[in-house]
Amino acid sequence: MTNRTPSPRGMPLLDRGVGPLLMLPATLLVVIFLVGPFYYMVYTALTDLSFADAGQAGAFVGFDNFRKLMRNDPLFWSSFLLTLKFVVIAVAIEFLLGFALAFLIFRFVASQRLLTTLLLIPMMIAPVAVGLIWRLLLQGDFGMLTFYMRKVGLLAQNSAVLSAPDLVFPTIVAIDVWQWTPFVTLIMLAGMMSLPRAPFEAAMMDGAKPFQIFRDVMLPLLRPVIALVLLLRGIDAFKEFDKVFLMTGGGPGTLTELVSIYAYRVNFRNWDLGYGAAVTFMIYLVVLILCSVFYKAVYWSSRKPAAAF
Amino acid sequence: MIDQSSNRAWKSFAWAVLLVTVVIALTPYVWMVLASFKNRVDLLSSVPKWSFTPTHANYPAVFIDKEYWPLAINSVLISVSSTVLCIVIGAPAAYGFARSDFPGKEDLFFFFLTTRMAPPISIAVPLFLFFTSLGLIDTIYAVVIAHTSFNLSLVVWMMRGFFAEIPREIDEAAMMDGRSRLGAFLFVVAPLAAPGIGATAVLCFILSWNEFLYAFILVAFDGRPLTVGIPGLVTPHGTLWGQVAAVAIVATLPIVLFTFLVQKQLVRGLTFGAVKG
Repeated sequence: MTNRTPSPRGMPLLDRGVGPLLMLPATLLVVIFLVGPFYYMVYTALTDLSFADAGQAGAFVGFDNFRKLMRNDPLFWSSFLLTLKFVVIAVAIEFLLGFALAFLIFRFVASQRLLTTLLLIPMMIAPVAVGLIWRLLLQGDFGMLTFYMRKVGLLAQNSAVLSAPDLVFPTIVAIDVWQWTPFVTLIMLAGMMSLPRAPFEAAMMDGAKPFQIFRDVMLPLLRPVIALVLLLRGIDAFKEFDKVFLMTGGGPGTLTELVSIYAYRVNFRNWDLGYGAAVTFMIYLVVLILCSVFYKAVYWSSRKPAAAF
Repeated sequence: MIDQSSNRAWKSFAWAVLLVTVVIALTPYVWMVLASFKNRVDLLSSVPKWSFTPTHANYPAVFIDKEYWPLAINSVLISVSSTVLCIVIGAPAAYGFARSDFPGKEDLFFFFLTTRMAPPISIAVPLFLFFTSLGLIDTIYAVVIAHTSFNLSLVVWMMRGFFAEIPREIDEAAMMDGRSRLGAFLFVVAPLAAPGIGATAVLCFILSWNEFLYAFILVAFDGRPLTVGIPGLVTPHGTLWGQVAAVAIVATLPIVLFTFLVQKQLVRGLTFGAVKG
């Protein structure tokens, strides 16, 4: 599976040792400032380090933190489940809408660079600004969207979506959909544009109906790109922090406390660093699993000539 | 496969959907732009005001009177320095990945990806302690180093593809012409890859400019970029939304412009080189 065979053009160009040498500075930087801290975090997770309690100076406690996490922390698990719910619902909607839009553009509008680029603005600007924009739109007293939602009866007169317990979660999902649907559209459109023509022509010659062509030719050819989009979005959504933190801070109560916000609270509000490290380790674990799936499913298969992109 | 008239109907439908989507995507941003030019009364009006007498007072009020202008400078310094470092360190590594072969190369390549995918919150605490012990906390150096290490993997993943597209014969020809290996890379291959390098650099800039969590945790006062300054303006009582909007616009406008600049290479950047676009 790994692509370790020499290139078809013969032996690689660089002398033995020169390649690794070129990679050395980059590798060193990443090891010192990302991998080092990561292992320190793993070590901290096995201690009772806390800045809030002078009695907890970082004594080794083994797996106590993880034991507590597994058995005794309903808040962690509810934030974990909330995050999974957020990822599944938001990414599913983004995918369906984004795919449909990409297909419409691909099939009937052809290349429309200006409009597709305008679509990208929500996902290119700082997530903090996105959070701020929506906070302004959804203000209880003078929010523009609040006003129109009340007008058409979507919202009660004296309530505001960001503080209404039953509305706040759907709202952050909707805002994520607003921000990231264009991402799916952009990538799917690129995938559709790079499809080979021959299979489609062959299917048409055989008299296949449009829907059959879509289902039996286009979807299978697009499978690697679909996997890629779902995984990249899934990983990113699982790490969501900035805009939700800005809009709700995890509230009201803990109704929008995603796991990264929970980790932030344990570490930088309660200063319970040992336990906080255990929490962030769990987040890292989930992302690492998704990440290796991404690599296996997408990158390796895309390097085989059979996959089409 | 579809007859003419229904094809035309679909075409109009597709255009309508696209236009509506663009309007939905842009309206919130446009509303923020409008808000930055509104006075207090227009802003707090319970009926949304689409037309009003514009004022530019919010911009000097926050950038000069509240001294937010150094934050803009910090944003520029942080993004530019981390981008330059990323390219200078990352491009040779990418070239190495494209042009050499050794056992474990693909594993090292995957290792770079995992560093990118790690949730910032899991690295932020140790990095905070690390920079505190180095005495770099609350300086832009801390943020520059954090952003550089975090964005390096993107450079490596994206640039490898750009270098791989340049035929090896080019390197060989340059070396036949008497250039050293380094000379061939610097003066022949790198210029050929310039569009790719440029696009990668712009993406690095955008990512660093937009980044919030690392900067938020690593600097509290002097080195704050704009993204970190924004939450400070939102208070439970009496947020001055005109000023908040002014900061948000300054913090996003460069990115909007850059998006147009790199739109062609964006697909590749956003998928770590997996989709060519």
